[in-house]
Amino acid sequence: MRLFYRYQDLAPQLVPLDYTSCPDVKVPYELIGTMPELKDNPFRQRIAQVFSQDGDGHMTLDNFLDMFSVMSEMAPRDLKAYYAFKIYDFNDDNYICAWDLEQTVTRLTRGELSAEEVSLVCEKVLDEADSDHDGRLSLEDFQSMILRSPDFLSTFHIRI
Amino acid sequence: MKPSKASQRYRSIRRNTNQHYLYQDSLLLGNSDDSFNADETGDSNDPEQIFQNIQFQKDLMANIRCRPWTMGQKLRALRRAKQIVLKFEGRLTRTRGYQAAGAELWRKLARLACNFAVIFIPWEMRIKKIESHFGSGVASYFIFLRWLFGINIVLTVMTGAFIVIPELIAGQPFGSTVSKTIPQEQVMSAQDLDTIWSLGGYLQYSVLFYGYYGRERRIGRAGYRLPLAYFLVGMAVFAYSFIILLKKMAKNSRTSLASASNENYTFCWRVFCAWDYLIGNPEAAESKTAAIVNSIREAILEEQEKKKSKNMAVTICLRIIANILVLLSLAGSIYLIYFVVDRSQKLEQSKKELTLWEKNEVSVVVSLVTMLAPSAFDLIAALEMYHPRTTLRFQLARVLVLYLGNLYSLIIALLDKVNSMNTEEGATKNTTSHWIDPPTFFATRTAPEGGQWPTPGSGMGLRRNSTSTWVLGETSILTSTMPYTKANKTVLYTQGPQGQCWETYVGQEMLKLSVIDMLFTVASILLIDFFRGLFVRYLSDYWCWDLESKFPEYGEFKIAENVLHLVYNQGMIWMGAFFSPCLPAFNVLKLIGLMYLRSWAVLTCNVPHQQVFRASRSNNFYLAMLLFMLFLCMLPTIFAIVHYKPSLNCGPFSGQEKIYDIVSETIENDLPAWFHSVVGHISSPVVILPAVLLLFMLIYYLQSIARSLKLSNQQLRMQIQNARSEDKKKVAQMVEGKFIFKMQILATCSEVTFKALPLSAARIQTHEESTKRLPKDSDLLSQLSSVHMVTAQNNGNVVNFDSLSNNSIRLETVTKSLPQSPGQRHRAPCSPLPGESRSRPEEDINRYPHDPSASTGSLQKNRSCTSVTQIQSINHVRSEPLSRKDFQPISRLLHEPGVSALMTHGHRPHAPRHYIVNEHASRKKTHPIFWPERHFKIDALGEVVELYPRNVRQYKSWAPHQPRCPQLSEEEDMLRRDFVQWPVAPRSLTDLPQAFYVDDRSESDTRGPELQPRIYYKSGDDGFEDQFNRPPFVHKKPCSRNVQYPQHPLKPRVKAKFEPSFTESDSVSAASSSDQQNSSTDQHLQVMPRQGKFPRSAGQLGRRKAKSRQALPADLNDLVCSNV
Repeated sequence: MRLFYRYQDLAPQLVPLDYTSCPDVKVPYELIGTMPELKDNPFRQRIAQVFSQDGDGHMTLDNFLDMFSVMSEMAPRDLKAYYAFKIYDFNDDNYICAWDLEQTVTRLTRGELSAEEVSLVCEKVLDEADSDHDGRLSLEDFQSMILRSPDFLSTFHIRI
Repeated sequence: MKPSKASQRYRSIRRNTNQHYLYQDSLLLGNSDDSFNADETGDSNDPEQIFQNIQFQKDLMANIRCRPWTMGQKLRALRRAKQIVLKFEGRLTRTRGYQAAGAELWRKLARLACNFAVIFIPWEMRIKKIESHFGSGVASYFIFLRWLFGINIVLTVMTGAFIVIPELIAGQPFGSTVSKTIPQEQVMSAQDLDTIWSLGGYLQYSVLFYGYYGRERRIGRAGYRLPLAYFLVGMAVFAYSFIILLKKMAKNSRTSLASASNENYTFCWRVFCAWDYLIGNPEAAESKTAAIVNSIREAILEEQEKKKSKNMAVTICLRIIANILVLLSLAGSIYLIYFVVDRSQKLEQSKKELTLWEKNEVSVVVSLVTMLAPSAFDLIAALEMYHPRTTLRFQLARVLVLYLGNLYSLIIALLDKVNSMNTEEGATKNTTSHWIDPPTFFATRTAPEGGQWPTPGSGMGLRRNSTSTWVLGETSILTSTMPYTKANKTVLYTQGPQGQCWETYVGQEMLKLSVIDMLFTVASILLIDFFRGLFVRYLSDYWCWDLESKFPEYGEFKIAENVLHLVYNQGMIWMGAFFSPCLPAFNVLKLIGLMYLRSWAVLTCNVPHQQVFRASRSNNFYLAMLLFMLFLCMLPTIFAIVHYKPSLNCGPFSGQEKIYDIVSETIENDLPAWFHSVVGHISSPVVILPAVLLLFMLIYYLQSIARSLKLSNQQLRMQIQNARSEDKKKVAQMVEGKFIFKMQILATCSEVTFKALPLSAARIQTHEESTKRLPKDSDLLSQLSSVHMVTAQNNGNVVNFDSLSNNSIRLETVTKSLPQSPGQRHRAPCSPLPGESRSRPEEDINRYPHDPSASTGSLQKNRSCTSVTQIQSINHVRSEPLSRKDFQPISRLLHEPGVSALMTHGHRPHAPRHYIVNEHASRKKTHPIFWPERHFKIDALGEVVELYPRNVRQYKSWAPHQPRCPQLSEEEDMLRRDFVQWPVAPRSLTDLPQAFYVDDRSESDTRGPELQPRIYYKSGDDGFEDQFNRPPFVHKKPCSRNVQYPQHPLKPRVKAKFEPSFTESDSVSAASSSDQQNSSTDQHLQVMPRQGKFPRSAGQLGRRKAKSRQALPADLNDLVCSNV
């Protein structure tokens, strides 16, 4: 936790050292996004949004701590899966629909896939993981899918 | 606690709990708010309850990390829970408090110790740094390296503690025995560099090798049995390696949770698990992106390939050729090694002085082959055109085979050399050999014959000398079995007596191989990676092409190959460890060096490999390879131990027939007689055969159990899937079924046409929504269904209805009573959850009247059941009371979330979480939703009741967009007829809404700015109502519509459309003009959120999603336009 304090101080210069006196300071997303841990992540914006209080990407220390506690290696996998779901749920409707998937794929590939390929991939993903055939992934679908993945735990964490 | 705060807390807790339903593993979450409430209400005196409370709070504290709350909430909850626990715990017992404090202290200490221990994990920081730059794949190599390092440390400690150190301390000192002194003719050169280099000289006569160890059965004062220890440690090395490997593999497979069992999530994993969140390096990120793109493309290709049958003749040919090539190169490499060993042997015989190259020829060639062949395989693999992962697997398998082949051919060649020298030299030497008594052998070991084989100081010479001697010794014994048995005296050939043992020779070879391998690794890292990196980086500016992206590029870090190399290296260690006890120690040093060098090289001049090599699964893959290697490396050693006779004059086992005789000898001599007999019995076939049988049976039994478990596992999974899908189906049926399905039956015929024309369909839908309203109402009127009246009256709106019905506008009352009934019910229960459960049956009740209405209005086949319309209509019913019934603003406010909750619950009633989550959204959502509804209502009333001509014109104006125009007109006819039948006074009807809206306005004004838009709609509608009342404006309205229809739902256009309407309504109703001006912007704002939000709810019905998507914008546009 002390380390986190330090990072909080490192990332933005506008945070006072005595944090407890003014707990409502927010670090703008521009600074969060340039952290070396996040700056190459295609989902950095989503991460910041998910963990920030009101979804604008500006984070208080609490949110910041939250983010890294979820992303730490010690976090339980269900928690990770839950937040991963939120990260991939671009429009915050608690379902991963085709649009969310398109967003995910285009961000992952930096737009190198053609539109047909993207839509094909989305279709396939929905095809595979959508256990109730409602055309989108609910959290249950997502969890059952992602927890079976061999790589998820090893890749879904950030180290600082 | 203040009520406001309490309610706020309650809310936040609610949210938590609701989120928690999502989160499957959260424990006891359902009653968390109960408990919070319970302790809020006051401390009860029931100790049992207190205890439970405390327990619960403790659970909460323990699991708080697992909950997806924000940190603030967590802290608050934790603090509160701790407070409660402290407060109440004191009341129960005091000792428990101490216990808790002690536990707390202990936990802190343990944590501190944990943090402290991390410092001592070797290279932790380094690995983490690499991991954060290159992702977990590359890091897995280093973790594997570290793990190997750990194993080697243990091996080193084992050999060091039980063999080397006792020998050094208690064994006979250097030079005291013949096997520990350097032959005189070699002393001169023993310190030369090239002697040392080839591990001769002093090194040969040191603890490094087997030959140095004494053969005394006990050494030192304590009587340490060194030979026994040597043998047992040699075996223990293998046993330990096996055990630790299997343990690690089991652990790994447990963590990976048998994930490889079903492969049906390839695309999902490729999308959702593709990104390695650890990557923090732009280059790595780039290559990762490329890798992801590749993998997705591959998956697509694969998918496409699955579908079409492929003509593979060429590929198969190519693959056959490639395999032949690979086999050839494998055979070539094996032959090369064999040839080199053979050649070195011949060279030794023909030449006395050997050059440096000749001495190290074998190991250099082996290292070169191991270095170059993988790249050759890589090239060959490009021919085959396999899927990259298959390619990788093939590549790994080939490389592994190559390494194994190399090691095997080397060791076989060595042993073969030993044998061949045995025969030929034995023949020559037998003549010159002379026999010496064993006792005198030790006495007269002054190396009289050393000069006979002048091999001054060179390692090769020594080796040759030693082997030849050993061979000679053996042959002499073999050939002289007669004197041996007859004279009963051991005869030894003492030519070149010192350290001539094949064990040392093998050990030397292995150590040399290891050293050379290390050198080659270093050289390759420096040359291939470092200098290439330097070259590419600094010369790319002056080169004719882009060095960084075209030919030389930066070196890739090939994880798989590197791991294989480590495995190979470890295999060498295992193979040689018995003959050279210090090999593990050397390997430890080597691994340390490799660690630093590699990590440096990776960080400075490598880019990650393009191909994705699965990190976690590969861990077990590495281990499996290692296990394979271990087994195969153990075989030759065991073979040598069992098959060959130990050297006669060196090493701990000299003088024994077989190496393992030491065990039986110890058992015979040093252990009590009963133990000996027990061992004898155990090792008799009477025991062993049944034991083997038992083992087989056990294996078979376990295997069958595993199979059945797998089967049951599969069945369980199937069951889960079935249950889930059934659940969802049921839910879907509950929500949609009663309402939609009947509609669907009616709509089946029209659905086809609507699928073809989604845009026009949407328009028709919106409009017919309005028209449908009327038949429904009228139908209800015709039925005069008392049910609705009753329900309405039950809801306490009697006064209202009475006043309305006094006006004899029954149409109005019925339409109102119908929608009100759900609304009233919602209002009555304050908490939304019970409200939801209760209102659903009502909804059903409400549906039934709808159905006949629909059936009468079955002309409106446009209930084509796109989800948009369904949801809309649901919303209509719900929101109608909101807009219509404006009597109690407060209750409406309460009601509003209830509506939204219902809306969402209606679709997934078993998931209460939506409620709070969507609360904000629903606020926004309800406005735009009942606004169109409002429009329909008014429109419908206004149009149909009053303005037939307008209605007709309107439909006609739509004609170009609607192929179903005649049907509509039919419908209209129906409507008209209906209305003709009913004696409805248009005048009073229009009066009524006006009265309503006046009421509305006054009330909504008090409601505050948050609900402004709603005011607008009402006032706007009011304005329209006024318009409709006056003939001149009636004509304007369709005109404006006609203008709008061809346009598409773009915001600016919508805006533009508002302008004329403003002027219109201004002219008509000046009272509402200011409101409109304000709210027009509001409307804009809300059009957008709606656009965003609507697909969400619409998307719930997935299959028609695309359709509804298309329909939506048009629909929206329509709504906007028509409202104007």
